[in-house]
Amino acid sequence: MARRTLVGWAFLAPLVAYLLLCYGYPLLTTIDLSVRDYTVRTFVHGGAPVVGLANYTAVFADPVFRTALLNTLVFTAASLVFQYTTGLALAVFFSRHFRLSATLRALFLVPWLLPLIVSASTWAWMFNSEAGVVNAALAWFGLDAVHWLTSPDWALVSVIAANVWIGIPFNLVVLYSGLRNIPAEVHEASALDGASAWQSFRHVTFPMLRPVSAVTLLLGLVYTLKVFDLVWIMTRGGPGGASTTLATWSYELGFGSMLPRFGPSAAVGNVLILLAVVAGLVYVRVQRHQEAS
Amino acid sequence: MTRSSWRTAVGVLLTGVMLFPVYWMVNVSLTPPGELRKSPPDLVPTNPTFDGYARVLDEQLPYFGTSLLVALGTVALTLALAAPAAYSLAKLRPRGRRPLTFVLLVAQMIPGIIMALGLYGIYVELGITNTVWGLVFADSTIAVPFAVLILTSFMSSVPDEVVQAARIDGAGAWRTFRSVVLPASRNGVVTAGLFAFLWAWSDFVFAATLDSGGSMQPLTLGIYRYIGNNNQEWNAIMATAVVASVPATALLVLAQRFVAAGITSGAVKD
Amino acid sequence: MTRPPFSRRLTLALVAAGLCLTACSSAGDAGGDPAGPFAVWDPYPQFDGTSEWVKVIERCGAEAGVRVERQAYDTSDLTNKVLLAAQQGVAPNVLVVDNPVVSTLAEGGVLKANEDVGLDASAASPNLLAAGEVAGKAYGVPIGANTLALYYNKAVLAQAGVDPASLTDWASLDAALAKVVAAGKKGITFSAIGTEEGSFQFLPWFWGAGAELTDLASPRAVAAVELWKSWLDRRYAPNSVIGNTQTTSWQEFATGEYAFAENGTWQLGNAGELGFEYGVIPIPSRDGGVAPAPTGGEFVTVPVQGSADREATAAKIAGCLTGADTVLATDTALTYVSAIGSVREQQVAAKPELAVWVDAVQAAKGRTGDGLGTRYPRISQPLWTAVQEVLTGSKPASGALADAQRAAASAK
Repeated sequence: MARRTLVGWAFLAPLVAYLLLCYGYPLLTTIDLSVRDYTVRTFVHGGAPVVGLANYTAVFADPVFRTALLNTLVFTAASLVFQYTTGLALAVFFSRHFRLSATLRALFLVPWLLPLIVSASTWAWMFNSEAGVVNAALAWFGLDAVHWLTSPDWALVSVIAANVWIGIPFNLVVLYSGLRNIPAEVHEASALDGASAWQSFRHVTFPMLRPVSAVTLLLGLVYTLKVFDLVWIMTRGGPGGASTTLATWSYELGFGSMLPRFGPSAAVGNVLILLAVVAGLVYVRVQRHQEAS
Repeated sequence: MTRSSWRTAVGVLLTGVMLFPVYWMVNVSLTPPGELRKSPPDLVPTNPTFDGYARVLDEQLPYFGTSLLVALGTVALTLALAAPAAYSLAKLRPRGRRPLTFVLLVAQMIPGIIMALGLYGIYVELGITNTVWGLVFADSTIAVPFAVLILTSFMSSVPDEVVQAARIDGAGAWRTFRSVVLPASRNGVVTAGLFAFLWAWSDFVFAATLDSGGSMQPLTLGIYRYIGNNNQEWNAIMATAVVASVPATALLVLAQRFVAAGITSGAVKD
Repeated sequence: MTRPPFSRRLTLALVAAGLCLTACSSAGDAGGDPAGPFAVWDPYPQFDGTSEWVKVIERCGAEAGVRVERQAYDTSDLTNKVLLAAQQGVAPNVLVVDNPVVSTLAEGGVLKANEDVGLDASAASPNLLAAGEVAGKAYGVPIGANTLALYYNKAVLAQAGVDPASLTDWASLDAALAKVVAAGKKGITFSAIGTEEGSFQFLPWFWGAGAELTDLASPRAVAAVELWKSWLDRRYAPNSVIGNTQTTSWQEFATGEYAFAENGTWQLGNAGELGFEYGVIPIPSRDGGVAPAPTGGEFVTVPVQGSADREATAAKIAGCLTGADTVLATDTALTYVSAIGSVREQQVAAKPELAVWVDAVQAAKGRTGDGLGTRYPRISQPLWTAVQEVLTGSKPASGALADAQRAAASAK
């Protein structure tokens, strides 16, 4: 047992060293930023006074916090549900081999290759209320134009749609690889038992995919929580704060105006990290449960 | 119509829907500036301009090379760090490993700009700002936690019997890892590598903070030549994105062919 | 592993090649090295090594007897980059930076005051210099200025029977918009996005109504927001203005459908390629006359570098970059109006249509002027939020501006 632990840690050693080296300092930086009262002068020359949790209480008291938290929850939940279900459906669809399947599957990844400034701008372009192709299509069906990005009722919906689009490739690829890792014999066996395609998916494929599904959702959650450039480019969190999330708010506080407020910005960022830790706790519990069974 | 060609037809349709925004980007790249905000917009460029492409081919080629190097370097570094660690987490399961999962998650949540801020100080000390391998190192921080988690879940699904069989044959931990577990999780390796590539390819925050001076700049910074203070040249921006996605798409199609089925049973026979 | 060894070897070879290449070409970051070249940072990535601007920098370096290394950053990135570099003690030796940022950097102790390094800014117009004044000291010299005015489409106005010379106050502009829309064309486009750009575009109307940034809730301020709101309600302006950047707004004008566009001096280059005839008038104030528009454009500044010698040399380079004999070429390339009176005369002589812009720049004022300095960002953000809330109809003008004033007053 002791030897196995030793060997195990030997394999982990490079990673641990790497984590300490790359993340230790930035993590300390963000905690330090959040408990000090930084001005531009003290950011550059040092000597910012420690103010404890004052930045946090200021952030919680700000009316923007409620909106941002609510928007973050809606944005994350809606994005995850649609990304995962679409990704899974596509993965199942592509798991059968057919002509061009590998090529088409690869083409699904193209959205990932585009620098975010380009894809987010393209979506903003398509959703433009005057000259956007989406409203042109609505007009073609005789429907009224919708102010996708400039109405407080629609802005969040529009950025969710764009984010789902960006997230589908990730879900598709990971879930597809997971599906392919399920030994072919399992499918053959359940087909021999006379199970229908749906039964076989529900009772065999889906349960066997659970570890990969769990990690996909967990990572999806982590990435969705911190999405900021997409929202920032499409709406700047607007109009009038209607699509502000915690991530965009953190950025806005730190870098959005000409006078950076690093303390509150880092505090909001750390609230996000806390949310991810909670999700991680849930994940570890689920994992332990699985290992036990 | 056979069942398979029916699937191909649906597949093409779905891909078409998915790639419509990409088509729209191509459309914009060809639209003359005066017609960009025409209402209603033209579905196909009626009088296309190729100015954007001419500029890109003229000005952007060096950036492509740098981006390719950075992306491939990131893939190599990420896999070298993540694969052994994932093997240990999934199969050796040493005592005290649980907090690591947490650390990996928290690590993923640190905003990119804060990471960049922290790394910048270290990079200035070491004098490795504006270098390709400095950027490789930074970009790998986006991919490593992901790769460890994803590879762990793939390696967990390699049956323990297979690992034990190798042990009985006298293979040490390293040989079991290299010749049994790693090949059996090839899908996971390809997936992790793919995403490491994609992240590095599209990274902007690290590039802007750590590699924005000097001669070796990646493509995402090249695009900024067309985003001036008050003025953006959309033909050229979109054309850059289009041209940039062509070689990368070819790579993806290639990589996707390595994702195979039934690996686990194949590994046992080896 | 069934992966062909060839592709693996190729990957390795590529990576190895990359490592070697960069190890050999790694360049120093900035001006921290006491004997190194002088680093000049600017927000003009559109100019590459062959441009006139870069040649000017090299010439100025040679005149000061040092080697210069120029780096261009995206403008929104430059401020962060400078703060980081200053924190690490590797700030550039000469910094060209957007004017409203100057007071922030100066107050943060990143910049040297002109008098301390012997940088002479006396040739520049006082209304432009005001943006760089903090606590009675001047920081940096404007390299040139731009501002906002109204571009109009001659054919659209002629068709609607509007004489551009008659547009001297809000009432006449309103009447002109009514005629244009009645004639089946679109009225006016501008940018009301929720960023500094939105405030920048709103200020001529705000100041033109007689409102002051120290009181966002005044009836005059309400009148300015209500003017914009009435344009949206009557379809004189498209709803897209709420999300428009100044670039997007220009693209709308470029379709030839719009009568007017509020936009800046920097579009003059693109204006030549519009494919229709355009004219420019100053933005009218509420009761007649030219409204003060905010100034845009960069300052050439000297960051703190811990060596009086190097700071003095940097000041020489900065003085050369903004000097009357070098700056004409730079301002022409940037399509800026020069900060120096005599150079402005040369610009108008060479290009008479610049006259209206010269007038606009002379009437313009800095956003951080009036002693506001670093308070300006605290005021600007609630202001653009209020404008957006009114335009989307989520709050009435008086309520939104009252909230904005409260937020601006309580911000640290």
